[in-house]
Amino acid sequence: MRDSKGYAWRIGVSVLALMAVANVDDAFAKEKVKIAFVGPLTGAISQHGIGGRNSAELAVKLKNADPATKYEYELVTLDDECKPNVAVQVVTKIASDNSIIAAIPHYCSAAAIATVDIFHRFKLPMVIWAAVLPEITYAKKVPEIHRVSGTLIGQNRVGAQFMKERGYKTFVSFADSTDYGKSMNKYFTEFTKENKNEILGSFAVPPDQQDVSAELTKIKELNPQVIYFGGLTPLGARVRTQMEKLGITAQLEGNSGIMGDAFISAVGPELAEGTLTFFDSPPLSKMPGGKFFSENYTKAGYTQAPEAYGPFAFAATNLVMEEIERVGPNRAKITEALGKIKDRQSIIGPITFDDYGQNITPLTTKYVVQDGKWTIWDESEYATGKRKLKNLP
Amino acid sequence: MTMISMKGTAGQIISSILVTVFLAGSLIAILEIEDQRELGICVAVIAVLSFIMPRLGILRSAEQAGAHHPWAVRSIILIGFFSVLLILRDNNFALLMIATILIYATVCLGITIQTGYAGLFNFAGAAFLGTGGYTAAMLGNVTWLPDAVTIILGGIIAAALGTLLILPVLRTRGHYAALTTLAFGVLFNGFLEANELLGGPQGLKVPGIQMFGWDFSNDLAIGSYTFSFYANYVLLIGAIFAVFMMFTRFVERSWIGIWLDAVRLDEIAASVFGLKVSVWKSFAFIAGNFLAGVMGAVYAKMTAFIAPANFTFGDSLLLVAIVLLGGIGNRWGVLIATMIVILLPEKLQFIQEYRLLLFSCVIIMLLMVRPAGLLARRVRVFEELR
Amino acid sequence: MSSIAQYLLNGLMQGTIYGLVAIGFTIFFGVMNVIKFSHGDVLTFGAFGGLVAAWVATALGFPIWLELVFVIVAAVMASAVIGAVIAQGLVLPLKDAPPLNMLLMTMMVGTAIRECIRLFFPNGTNPQKFPELLPSGGFDLSGIYFRYDGLILIAAGIAFIFLVQWIINRTRLGLAIRAVAEDGETARTMGINFTLTVVIAFAIGSMTAGVAGALYGLYYSEINYGMGLILAIIGFSAAIVGGLGNIWGAIIGGYLFAGLQTAVVAFLPALSDYKNVIALIVVVALIAWRPTGLLAERGSERV
Repeated sequence: MRDSKGYAWRIGVSVLALMAVANVDDAFAKEKVKIAFVGPLTGAISQHGIGGRNSAELAVKLKNADPATKYEYELVTLDDECKPNVAVQVVTKIASDNSIIAAIPHYCSAAAIATVDIFHRFKLPMVIWAAVLPEITYAKKVPEIHRVSGTLIGQNRVGAQFMKERGYKTFVSFADSTDYGKSMNKYFTEFTKENKNEILGSFAVPPDQQDVSAELTKIKELNPQVIYFGGLTPLGARVRTQMEKLGITAQLEGNSGIMGDAFISAVGPELAEGTLTFFDSPPLSKMPGGKFFSENYTKAGYTQAPEAYGPFAFAATNLVMEEIERVGPNRAKITEALGKIKDRQSIIGPITFDDYGQNITPLTTKYVVQDGKWTIWDESEYATGKRKLKNLP
Repeated sequence: MTMISMKGTAGQIISSILVTVFLAGSLIAILEIEDQRELGICVAVIAVLSFIMPRLGILRSAEQAGAHHPWAVRSIILIGFFSVLLILRDNNFALLMIATILIYATVCLGITIQTGYAGLFNFAGAAFLGTGGYTAAMLGNVTWLPDAVTIILGGIIAAALGTLLILPVLRTRGHYAALTTLAFGVLFNGFLEANELLGGPQGLKVPGIQMFGWDFSNDLAIGSYTFSFYANYVLLIGAIFAVFMMFTRFVERSWIGIWLDAVRLDEIAASVFGLKVSVWKSFAFIAGNFLAGVMGAVYAKMTAFIAPANFTFGDSLLLVAIVLLGGIGNRWGVLIATMIVILLPEKLQFIQEYRLLLFSCVIIMLLMVRPAGLLARRVRVFEELR
Repeated sequence: MSSIAQYLLNGLMQGTIYGLVAIGFTIFFGVMNVIKFSHGDVLTFGAFGGLVAAWVATALGFPIWLELVFVIVAAVMASAVIGAVIAQGLVLPLKDAPPLNMLLMTMMVGTAIRECIRLFFPNGTNPQKFPELLPSGGFDLSGIYFRYDGLILIAAGIAFIFLVQWIINRTRLGLAIRAVAEDGETARTMGINFTLTVVIAFAIGSMTAGVAGALYGLYYSEINYGMGLILAIIGFSAAIVGGLGNIWGAIIGGYLFAGLQTAVVAFLPALSDYKNVIALIVVVALIAWRPTGLLAERGSERV
């Protein structure tokens, strides 16, 4: 008995000693501050998530390369898989970890709406980089919640009016059954009716449903001029591909969820041609900091594109770091400081948060796919009349 | 290795203390260490120690202590539990992990009763977990209903749902029986995803627990120590786990356990001896599901969120695999296996991506090489008291 | 009315795929009393094998019809090989283990295959675009839109089902397989090479998965790492409902399941989200009513 106890004792003491030695800190380095990035890094939406992650990482890298900063930043990246339950798990993890000062979360609205309460419960300030569901900021006044991207209200308002101007009259809405899709459908319906157009039917499916031919068959019977899609890229790609297989020739009206290279590469440039969408930002080339961002992004050697919301992730991360530099790494102070942001310059333009933490300055731009690329409507051959949208009345 | 003589009460008690200290220490170490390198070393050391321990006869001795001096062992465990709680008192995440481990361990106790004792296959464990959770979610807005009742109702409704399956489960054997629960688990998930009333794929928010006039989302302050609010949940779940452990022990060591074993080992012989096979199978099935339902309700309330994606076939499979890993029919094995399966992937970042792959490989190897699991269930010795 | 016919066509397609998967399950069970739950993930493996073959074929500049053949052959071969490996390495050694162990092991093997695809295939977590190798478009007949690719695939699937059925029932190899299924020991004393026959049977069963995977990819133009799981569950249910060990039962089970799904979508459109739920409820009810399947298993339990 003595033997075994001594044995265990000796091992225990040596392990402890090892650990003590390994923990000697370099006392002369800058104080380390941890911030967290959350996005869909795996799964069907991963292209957007990885683009956002790379952009956030770039912001941290550039900041750390600046010798004048007080702190050294470490970006902790987490994968929410675009699923509410995983998002809840992951956010609970970072929120309950007191060493993480702020977060830059969520591409997927479904994930974001589920985690709002957790950020509040643990008082972790955050700046959303992509999720567009209005309720995230507007359902309640929660001091920890901020967002640099726009809400989906603006894009649907502009979209409905645009379609009216083109002369379209009959629509069918196809959305996913998460809160994101429901909200898209709600505002699409509201603004389309406001423009005195007709909605022949509404369909909703879970975002990972593979076979949409049943719903598309019914849509074919209804024969609308336009199919409005309120969901994310994977489902959108499936809808577009299966529309083609069933011989449906309606015009596809998209939303910010299909903005980006991922959609075009998923359906192929031929099928993507002529798809419309409305997005709360001018293209990278026209953003105030666009050139700076794309130059540095390429220099950093990332193989995957920043995608539609990469610049927003960059801007959000920079915003957080700027505030930490000003008021120090303290959650409560950062929450207060973020609430006061007005006209802050960034690569996406001036950022101003309203009382609910929502950035009120993004402008909605209209896009159409031309030759395998998203092109601003006004600069496209569709606007001049050289090419025609589908099903024009 | 020297076979140290551990017989006699003193030896048994000391072994139990050793085992408890080892477990508690490993738990604290794994939960507290952040640096990946240190953690890797630590895990390796723990693995080596846990390999050595059974060889020294300590484990056998501790088991005997549990059999002959249950209340002494229980006190030791209790002291260990409270020490862990005290040391980890302001580590939110650690307490959350402990709570999760205890929840899964309890559900697996239920599966142990179903599969380990009665020989029923249950591939829908996650569905019953989910039933409890959704009951809690739905009743969350009914403010006059005390949370204790909600939690128990979660268990009752899960058990009731299980009775729908009793007929097919009783009438089928082997693979057909497996299909029954499997199909049920899948259709339950599909139902939740499709049904708008229950929140659909977006999920539902669930209010926290308020029991005995105390809101569980408040940090606990005892004397000069402040415990993170998760400690409330750990205490509650720990209490429930203890109760169910004692219940399972009672079932196993009583004539009920013997009858269940008879049903499992040879159904036809059992019925020849006059055992009402269907009655005992139903008992095991319902009891197991009740446990799952209760823990589901508590889990939903603790994480304040519930979504269908938490209750897939993969999750049910995980529960069955944990039971197998721990040693089918061994209640302590369940706790160890749960700790390994839930804790390690969370803390060891470098295996996080590969955790499912590693887990499946481990189970495959286990099934090929050592199907009895980590802590094999001891064969009943009817002459133990000699 | 026309839309109902549309659903019917879609249902036929699904049924063919389910039937193929179910045949595999039934062969495995008949031959070795094993439910090889990794069958669905073997299907996924085959589909990804076909995808890689398509990339190779495009790179080498094959004409479309050759690429199509190449893809299907690759899918079939990939599944056959992995099915045989699983049989040889994992199933045969454990053949005397309790059924729970075997079931759990094959489920874990399936998980391992799925995770490997997810982790090691480039961009494995994303759905992959499957090339368009069949003529697109279709023709309209009295308001019903017939897709060319759908018709071709249904024909191909049914042809393969008949092929497998012919192999099992009309060839010497099939005789050997059936002998081993009936009574392994006696078959051995009759000079049949038990191990080889079992492995070949597993390979044939897995080939059905390969074909199903290729059909799925060609029909939906998209495959992803998780597609095998639900197909395995449906295939398993279909095989059980039809009666394990009976090939016709598996085929009937497959079309029955698809028929249930189609019926819900066509006649109860408000409940179309619940089509899988309702179909599975019917499956569970059928099992409760006929615990050994519709076309009852031959042989009885010896007391």
